Amino acid sequence: MDLLLSRRSFLIGCSVAASPLLTPVTFAAAPSENRLVVIILRGAMDGLDVVRPVGDAAYAGLRPTLAADPGPALNDFFTLHPAAADLLPLWQAKELGFAHAVATPYRNGRSHFIGQDALENGTDSGDGTLTSAHDGWLNRAIGLIKGVTPDTAVSVSQQRLLVLEGANETDHWYPVTESPLSDQGRQLIAALNAADPLFAEPFAEATKLENSASGMEGGVPSGKMQYAQLGTYVAQRLMGPSRIASFSFNGWDMHRDQKQAMANQLKGLSDAILAIKTGLGRAWGTTLVIGITEFGRTARENGTGGTDHGTGGMAVLAGGALKGGQVFGKWPGLGDSDLFENRDLLPTADVRSYPALALRAMFGVQAHGLESTVFPGLDLGSDPGFLL
Amino acid sequence: MDAPSLIEDIRFGFGPLAGRPPSKGGLDPDRLLAQLTAPDPAAAAWDRPDLATRAPLIAIYQEDHKNGLIKQGAKLAAPESRQLIQIEEDDMTAYAARPAVALTPFRERLVNFWCNRITVAANSNAVRRVIQSYRDEAVRPNIGGRLADLLKATLWHPAKLFYLTQNTSTGPNSPIGLKRGKGLNENLAREFLELHTMGHGYTQADVTELARLLAGMKNDADGPRVEDGRAEPGVKHILGVAYHPGKDEIDRLVEDVAHRPETAQATAFFMARHFIADQPPDDLVAAIAKACTDNDTQLVPMYRAMLTHLLAAGERQKLRSPLELVVASLRLTGMTGTEQNLRGFKKEGMRLPDRLRTMGQPIEQPARPDGWPDVADGWLTPPMVAARTDWAVDLARAVGDRSDPVALADFALGGLAKPMLPRAVGGAEQRWEGLAVLLASPDFSRR
Repeated sequence: MDLLLSRRSFLIGCSVAASPLLTPVTFAAAPSENRLVVIILRGAMDGLDVVRPVGDAAYAGLRPTLAADPGPALNDFFTLHPAAADLLPLWQAKELGFAHAVATPYRNGRSHFIGQDALENGTDSGDGTLTSAHDGWLNRAIGLIKGVTPDTAVSVSQQRLLVLEGANETDHWYPVTESPLSDQGRQLIAALNAADPLFAEPFAEATKLENSASGMEGGVPSGKMQYAQLGTYVAQRLMGPSRIASFSFNGWDMHRDQKQAMANQLKGLSDAILAIKTGLGRAWGTTLVIGITEFGRTARENGTGGTDHGTGGMAVLAGGALKGGQVFGKWPGLGDSDLFENRDLLPTADVRSYPALALRAMFGVQAHGLESTVFPGLDLGSDPGFLL
Repeated sequence: MDAPSLIEDIRFGFGPLAGRPPSKGGLDPDRLLAQLTAPDPAAAAWDRPDLATRAPLIAIYQEDHKNGLIKQGAKLAAPESRQLIQIEEDDMTAYAARPAVALTPFRERLVNFWCNRITVAANSNAVRRVIQSYRDEAVRPNIGGRLADLLKATLWHPAKLFYLTQNTSTGPNSPIGLKRGKGLNENLAREFLELHTMGHGYTQADVTELARLLAGMKNDADGPRVEDGRAEPGVKHILGVAYHPGKDEIDRLVEDVAHRPETAQATAFFMARHFIADQPPDDLVAAIAKACTDNDTQLVPMYRAMLTHLLAAGERQKLRSPLELVVASLRLTGMTGTEQNLRGFKKEGMRLPDRLRTMGQPIEQPARPDGWPDVADGWLTPPMVAARTDWAVDLARAVGDRSDPVALADFALGGLAKPMLPRAVGGAEQRWEGLAVLLASPDFSRR
């Protein structure tokens, strides 16, 4: 099975929970032995359920059913959701960490659509207004990394990955099947498509990519092992010319029956991270995986065994480049007076500072560029020291 | 019944059916509207079992599921469970096969339009069990009636209650709410106002009050009702009107909202966008909305307002969705999608659910509660275009060896085709490749 590669800058589209089959994987190449993976956790991951502040006196009362089984202890304050136990060895090896109580500057709305766009665009705006170019922060960062080779590449799904879209060329990948058509048949179809204003661009891009097929094995990820397969693809690309990869991981919006939904999600996320580690081999030692989400969820369970849209969230950190085994950030507390608008975890740090510090440490992006171009308005502040 | 004319078939159906040449002439609104009530034995052959037939099977299936007997091909499950599994597989088959053979394709298009306008997605087992009934028992019988009744039927259908998590929403001051600390969620209340009806013109307070009114909704073997144990007591004020607890009051609310001008406007917009143009002109939308307001939300006058607009017979502006493309190519080649042992396909046949998934339209699984995109850009990413092309090539290779692709192009598009299309189709080296060129052409993707 060949890969069809295509490249396309999406200007429209939407991005809330969809079939994971349609998850796009986007790649950018850079000349360094460091590797960065950015996972967009769409739907607003409930950080309070993933890394549980059981040491906070208010926690058990806020989460009477969700936190019934506390899960393995990470330290004397936090436990890990039981379904993420596959990741415990990474924690013990100091290759896993979390940044709690983080948020984008978007605080005025709790809308998935606005929140995800703000997360990927990197805007400083409180109401989620995008920066003027409507591009992605990772794309802008690539423009500041020395010696980047803009690959001809591949956009791979109906969903845009805004974080890598913009003026700098990036690669998109996804497997598709090959066609039995003769060259002449192809040319006739190509001519008709080229003459059509709607079809010309996407058809040409699909074709270009087909011509640079990659020989990756395995086909379109599906079924139970799809996240492991996705992680394997990411690792394979990173073992080639790519050094920065991004993909989206959907399905974190859990208004009801969160117990089962979260278990499924964390199994998939664990599979993906572990497959990346396996696929990278020694290169895992200089790799950082960052999972970020548009916002957190309500501190209290709702009436239907789930949680509603909140504010302070969590970032997942993994990789050999991480000084792991820690939960980073200042804990704001869960008492009634501690909560943001009496419902959400209060953010105590700008989530943008984590990828910003990683770009500085791993790819030499200067602080000025990070605070003005990549994440306008960001104050890098003091480094929590999360990288080796 | 007369065959539809070419433009009727293409714009308001799924393209001409093999062996049924289009009627001469242009667009005749009466001929199209007659499809709403005409008998259609070909489509009826694909009628699916109703919920009452499935209910006893579902009960046994759920028991087997709980006991872990559904795994591994359900070999250990009860015959009823296996029967349900087969029924649900056949539902998937009928999704394309029914419109592929239908003699009243406008009716099938309307069912699809309304199912998408008031979306339910099979995102859980609970919804999956009842989603065919949503299509056949909530939507299909109501597409020729009043919008208000269609909204009631869909709001109360268990698929909707499961999909938008209304089945567990509980009044915080209801007996169960107080005893077990259960509460509301606003999911259905918000989507009803935002996506199914008005779209704008209401406040967060209206949503919250509506959620209180809807708390306790239930629809099972005992029929639609509000459960006393979960109903939120007290009067709710929604859009300035007071409602008391109970099913009749919810129905009165739906009736009131259906008659709002915002609802007429939004419904008209989405209807015009689905059938006529991604950006429908204001006068068309206004004409459909007026027909809604003037006729007690009757849908047929709305359809008529659309069909009598100049653009109804104008240039083809819309892109066929993946399903519409697949069905159009099946109709043209006289296939149903159920054929097996076709060259180039896997032994079991075309596997249309997989095809539709790669084209971006997995059956009954739109990603969002506002449904499929319904505009061209939503179907035209490079991998989707590649998947459309692959479908054209694979189908043509399987069935096109003895076809006359130039004649098929004429049958499918007649004088509507761009001049370069017949030249390209006729320029292929082999018959099947000529058919592939036709099916993969942007021209064939337009309606």
